[in-house]
Parts: sequence; C-alpha cells; structure tokens
Amino acid sequence: MTTLTDIAGLIQEVIGEDWDLDEEITLETSFSDDLELESIEFVSLAEKMQATFGEEVNFVRWLSEKELDEVIDLKVGDVVEFINSCKN
Amino acid sequence: MPHAVANGLELHHQLLGAAREGQTPCVFAHGLLIDNLSSWYFGAAPIVATTRQAICYDLRGHGLSTHTPDGHDVATGVADLLALLDSLGLERADLAGQSWGALICLRLALEHPERVRRLVLCEAPLPPSSLEEMTSVLSSDADELLKMLPDSLREAFASGKRRALKTARRLERLLTETTLVADLKAETDLPDETLRSLQHETLLLYGDASSCRGVGDRLATLLPNSRLEVLAGGHYLAAQRAPEVGRLIQEFLDG
Repeated sequence: MTTLTDIAGLIQEVIGEDWDLDEEITLETSFSDDLELESIEFVSLAEKMQATFGEEVNFVRWLSEKELDEVIDLKVGDVVEFINSCKN
Repeated sequence: MPHAVANGLELHHQLLGAAREGQTPCVFAHGLLIDNLSSWYFGAAPIVATTRQAICYDLRGHGLSTHTPDGHDVATGVADLLALLDSLGLERADLAGQSWGALICLRLALEHPERVRRLVLCEAPLPPSSLEEMTSVLSSDADELLKMLPDSLREAFASGKRRALKTARRLERLLTETTLVADLKAETDLPDETLRSLQHETLLLYGDASSCRGVGDRLATLLPNSRLEVLAGGHYLAAQRAPEVGRLIQEFLDG
C-alpha cells in the first residue's frame, strides 16, 4: 500500500524552500486550494511519482483524462487511491 | 529532471512514452509568459503519446529551463529547438506549437524543412505582435496586462497566495529584466510568398472566440497543404480544449 506519508514526502520535496503550510498534509488536502501547487510543480511531482512508483503508475495519462475542474479539485487522497489502484 | 544542454543553455523537457519504431516523435512548444510545458504535458501530449513519443519542453526563460536575459525572439527560439532536436538525436520530428511556440515551429519548418515531418499550429499569431494578448503586454499597462490573463489566473492573483505571487514574480522578471518585450515588438510578419512555399502537411487549430481567429483563415489560404479546424474557445486553446486538441493532433499525425 502506498501511504499518505510517501506522497506527502514527494510534495514537500517539490515545494521545497517555499514550504509554508502550517497544517499537516491529509487525504483531504487539496492540491490547488491548500497546497497552491503550480502546474510546473505538478510536472515535477508527476516525475517523482513515476520514479518512485514505476512505469505502471501513469499519472500524466490519468490526469489528461480528467476535466479541468476535476484537476483543480484534486485532493491528495485521490492520488493515493489512484496509485493503489495501479498497484493492484 | 531531464535537461538537455542546447544552444548554450539547459532546456527542461519531459518525454512521454518511449520512442517507437516507424513513428516520428512529436515535440510540443508552448506559448510565452504565463505558459510552460505543463499546458501540453497535462493536456494534449499524453493523448498523442498513446501512439508516438511526445516530447514537451520549456522555452528559455520559462518553466524549469535556464532563465536568460535575452533571446526571446522567434529566430533564437528556432535555434534553441534545433539544438534540442540535435541533443535528443532527432533527425526529423513532428512539431506542435501553441501561440509563440507555433511561430517557432512554423519558422523552423520553413528554414529547415528536412527536420520536420508534419506541423501543428495552434493559435499562431501573425503578425506576431498583432495578438491582443500580446499588445496588452506591449502597452505595459498593469490593468491591460491583467485583462490578458486567463480567468483562473486572474482569480489566483486576487487571492495573493503563494502560487499567484510566484506567477507574478515570474511575469515581472520576464517583462522588466529581459528583452522579451523588445523582442516581441521587433518581430516582423511572414510574407505571403514565404508562407506559400511551405510544403509540410499542416494542421491549423484556432478558437472561434480568439483575437487571432482570422490568422487561421489566412494561413489556411496560403499554406498549400493545410487544414483548418476551428474549436469553441479563446486564445489559450491547447489548455482550454485539451482533450479535443489532443485527439485532433493524434488523428492528424497518425493519418
């Protein structure tokens, strides 16, 4: 099982020194509203996820099938669920 | 993250899918200022990548490529893209560009026809400085500048949060610390006879509500092997209508 901790670690790596979130990352944390992740940071996150979880986790393809509104509303929990569905 | 050393700078790029025997890879070029490779990377490119390798790259001064004080003109953009093709070992590629990126792709195909198989021009502005979104930049008026931004970004600016501040810093740097505005102003139109000489099969994509919608008609008339598709949308078409744009590009390149 991919844990929330794995994803949270990657998100922190991507945001780096800009990190100023007071609250802990949870399954309900929104990439857009809470983390304020930029699109280019999302690219870096996708790359790190591929490197960590392997080719079978095609995050980019998964995102491309979503409507823009869905991507904006994306929560950390959605990504955890997606990764686990690829592994099963 | 992958960077190619090209034309004296590091160009950040992302490969989608592996190279496939007999299928020419497609390189995607984005627009200026608020854009970077992510608009293709999370948009049309993954759809195209189901049948051929897709390569998205950041123009100089954008995304994660080297920030340079100058070289935001089309000619330097062509030199950068050529150098990227060389460093990736691509003798020939399909090229797809949005806005300024489309101008770079078009000029590369005109000047180095042997390096390009097929061409996709999404919202190419001609003359380059005619675009309303660009003239707003050229007028350097803050209110006008805000008007040119997509709705989502305008809302983000109003929030004053991390992402908005980063975008604002980036815009400020490009507009005040680089030759970008001067480079745009100096860019000239491509003459009709030059456009008539292009032999490549070309797909033209324009938004029905875009300020450069008319350019689509001009190019469709002048480019001998072109086809125009008009979609509902504005200038930021590649991101705005990503699934449709992706399918149209894929069908065009595969056909």
